[in-house]
Amino acid sequence: MADKILEVKELKLHFPVYDGIIFKSQVGAVRAVDGVNFDLYKGETLGLVGESGCGKSTTARSINQLHRPTSGEIIFQGKDIAKYSHKEMLPVRKNIQMVFQDPYASLNPRMTVGNIISEPMDIYAKLGIYNKSKNDIEKRVEYLMERVGLSHFYKNRFPHEFSGGQRQRIGIARALALDPDIILADEPVSALDVSIQAQILNLMKDLQDELNLTYLFIAHDLSVIEYISHRIAVMYLGRIVEIADAHDLYHNPKHPYTQALLSAAPIPDPEIEKNRERIILTGDVPSPDQERFGCYFCERCSHKMDKCEKNIPELKTINNTNHQVACFLFE
Amino acid sequence: MTAAIENQNKNEFDQAVKGSSLNKDAWRRLKKNKMAIIGLYIVIIYAFIAVAAPILPIYSYKKIILDHQHLPPTFTKTAGELMYEKVKTRMLIIAKKRGRTELNEREQKKLEGLRHKIKTEVKTIDGEIVKLHERIYYLGTDYHGRDMLARIIYGGQISIAIGLIGAIVALIIGITVGAIAGYVGGAVDNFIMRFVDIMYSLPYLLLVIIFMAMFGQNILNLFFAIALVSWLTVARIVRGQIISLKNSEFVEAARSIGASNRRIIFKHMVPNTIGIIIIFGSLEIPAFIMYEAFLSFLGLGISAPYASWGSLVGDAVEGMADFSWRLFFPAIIMTIFLFSMNFLGDGLRDAFDPQSKNKL
Amino acid sequence: MTNNKILEVKNLSTHFKTDEGIVKAVQNVSFDLAKGETLGVVGESGSGKSVTNLSVMRLIPSPPGKIMNGEVIFDGEDLLKVSDKRMQQIRGDEISMIFQDPMTSLNPFLRISTQMMEPFILHQKLKKKEALEQSIEMLKLVGIPMPEKRVHDYPHQFSGGMRQRVMIAMALSCKPQILIADEPTTALDVTIQAQILELVKALSAKLNTATILITHDLGVVAGVCENVVVMYAGQIVEKATNTDLFKDPKHPYTKGLLNSIPRLDTKTEDRLFSIKGQPPNLINVPDCCPFFPRCDFAMEICKQKNPATTQLGNRREVNCWLYEENKEVNLG
Repeated sequence: MADKILEVKELKLHFPVYDGIIFKSQVGAVRAVDGVNFDLYKGETLGLVGESGCGKSTTARSINQLHRPTSGEIIFQGKDIAKYSHKEMLPVRKNIQMVFQDPYASLNPRMTVGNIISEPMDIYAKLGIYNKSKNDIEKRVEYLMERVGLSHFYKNRFPHEFSGGQRQRIGIARALALDPDIILADEPVSALDVSIQAQILNLMKDLQDELNLTYLFIAHDLSVIEYISHRIAVMYLGRIVEIADAHDLYHNPKHPYTQALLSAAPIPDPEIEKNRERIILTGDVPSPDQERFGCYFCERCSHKMDKCEKNIPELKTINNTNHQVACFLFE
Repeated sequence: MTAAIENQNKNEFDQAVKGSSLNKDAWRRLKKNKMAIIGLYIVIIYAFIAVAAPILPIYSYKKIILDHQHLPPTFTKTAGELMYEKVKTRMLIIAKKRGRTELNEREQKKLEGLRHKIKTEVKTIDGEIVKLHERIYYLGTDYHGRDMLARIIYGGQISIAIGLIGAIVALIIGITVGAIAGYVGGAVDNFIMRFVDIMYSLPYLLLVIIFMAMFGQNILNLFFAIALVSWLTVARIVRGQIISLKNSEFVEAARSIGASNRRIIFKHMVPNTIGIIIIFGSLEIPAFIMYEAFLSFLGLGISAPYASWGSLVGDAVEGMADFSWRLFFPAIIMTIFLFSMNFLGDGLRDAFDPQSKNKL
Repeated sequence: MTNNKILEVKNLSTHFKTDEGIVKAVQNVSFDLAKGETLGVVGESGSGKSVTNLSVMRLIPSPPGKIMNGEVIFDGEDLLKVSDKRMQQIRGDEISMIFQDPMTSLNPFLRISTQMMEPFILHQKLKKKEALEQSIEMLKLVGIPMPEKRVHDYPHQFSGGMRQRVMIAMALSCKPQILIADEPTTALDVTIQAQILELVKALSAKLNTATILITHDLGVVAGVCENVVVMYAGQIVEKATNTDLFKDPKHPYTKGLLNSIPRLDTKTEDRLFSIKGQPPNLINVPDCCPFFPRCDFAMEICKQKNPATTQLGNRREVNCWLYEENKEVNLG
């Protein structure tokens, strides 16, 4: 049984909304992440899926403190890092790295590729936390480039000379530079062409096997998530509505939202598409700026009960399996 | 599953691929803009002349020679000939007034004496013995008999230096202030920007006059006075760029690898505003030259014996009708330089335009 | 067989002039569209799918682009030769286009009513009052709740999915014969995407509008399109009916593409099949098959000459040297 490497408890991230002409005061908040609980086990890929505005990117960015959590706990290596200062986060950051979505925007266009990959090591060497000489760092840059499938001859080129897929490889090499335990992958293949997407997914899988990496993999494409994840968490309006093993989630989706999501995902097979029963959700995703006292999904849910408007369902395990759902239909 | 690319200089169709940085791309685009390249050449020529001034074969710019006062520009006649003509013409006019058509003996004797002086007089200038009256003043002389060509060249030295240094100082202050305001945001940003707004609304000229009055009228103070107010626009522009870059993914990436704020600002964000900075810098230089010219024109800037283009123009206003070359040449020389800098600046802006970078 | 073709594109080529050379964005593209048909144009970035359709509508910015040659026969007229005035009449009235990002394709400064009334006033010469009534009807048709009230809102007051519906309503206002939809759902969430695709299907059936759906998502194509054209590097590599394409892809690129998509419904093996290499750089492409560097079946001739089109019968075409002389090919 693998160890828990990260525990997230009741994580909340509310972005304050200000108003006022000269002296601004807070009039409300965008509740991007509104009470998220999950565990991450070493060596696994936890997929985080949901539509835009559900809070999945914000959740990942709270873990490595690109956004400061409003409340909640993030336990890593036995300590709660949610409220760490910038200085305290430095040694933690070495072990939690991030891969970003946009291969065109996530690399500094004015730095050579070699410098982009070596920068994390340079920073940490200066801090004294990473004991490698300049020569070692350079060798590691070349090694990393080859490992992700780029010739190290290109290390003096600039990002704009590479294609989207190659840039994403550079981003992955950068994330691997400090040999982290966890990689937060924020939609790493969403901006890539389909034929390149497969290359990057294969690369990430290989790296996981070789280096025993743990991934928190965010995407909105269900088939990608299902392929690469061991377990999947479905988010809606800042909360997790269902977590299960990947296979289980697809074959036995319990939460009405998960079911709608799965039925909406297009499948590249005309026969199947023709005969599908689609669950079409009515209305749009509501805005996350009000405090809710009932189930976040109940406005659009076709199985709504009286209970749902007045109480917020918590994630409960079903039948002693790995499957958790937050829905009153299952209590 | 993807093999490493074997031959780094060929693409998949076996065509040669040249590596290029963003700067090389910009330079290539600039080369296509004819006006900008002409501007660039002209600016380079000016810069070269300004720097090489001390070793150029020109006359002294500050030695006062009253005999040579207000000589018109000429390619062929020596100073001596011009002086002689001038005196002779004046004598003839006076003679005519008195009813004579010829010069009398006294006047002719004076002319003889003058001719002799012209042939023989020598003066020591800068350690050299010079046959003064054999000089040819291509652009004429001014009120004190100083060579216009030399004064324009040395004036250019000062004008261009002021433009350059002023621009650099303005950029340094403006970038630092703008970067900090943009990156830190919040109250700091508010405070700095309100300060900038207030400074903007003050009458600039008044400030400079007060400054010069308080601290004396010399070149150094002139620099400071001008730089004092010119960093404002740079600060605003850089702040805007920084704010828009603050939320870009590569800045987030830098934060996630533990970069400090200082590193992010100066290693990541400012280099990505280089385009704007170069453009702005190249347009600030002519602006500075104009500022200084205006101040000198009013008498607040450069004082004798030094010259700048502005002071030359200022000196030339009186007597504009009679001695038009004193106004015409400095004005033309200055205008050409300003035009060239502006064309260059426009060309740079097009070359660095991020839109054209990603064109297809 | 009666000729119910409403659009015939023949040998269309569009080039762009850039700093670094000529980009042959579209090369020798030919396809037909029948009345009421839904045609899918599939390709990745750089495939030329968008530029092809912009060329049909003559919306290519020129410079730097230029339609080099070709014919686009619509209802008896060659659109590439008609006057600008006639083209303006056709756009919005007989051929309409909707774009990918509903945020930027609606004017944020104008109310929806103003924008929706425009095609009615321009093309059908209606008065303002009638145009408004018709606009409200169209909003009802696309499923906007409370259309009488919402028609006076601004675009930013609508969500992404709603905005796309408004775009569709605008595009279909004058009951065009052809609707060109350029990645209409790529920017939308998957649940909204499902709604929009259903809507497009229903409306085009109801109004008998022929639709060209441009996308990179093969799942979308499977659900909506009757026939499919696959593009790569500015050229068409395969044409087939929907069923045929997915069951039996002929071109190695199509096969590779289908194999590299992770599938929700089947258990995928440990590694996804992936096409090696990357999408080509289209600058100064030489005369060869543009796919050959990535093709597992590349032969010598592929490096030297651009493949000719092979007809395989039953509305199937493929551009690949493997099928020269109608050989039987097993792509494994």
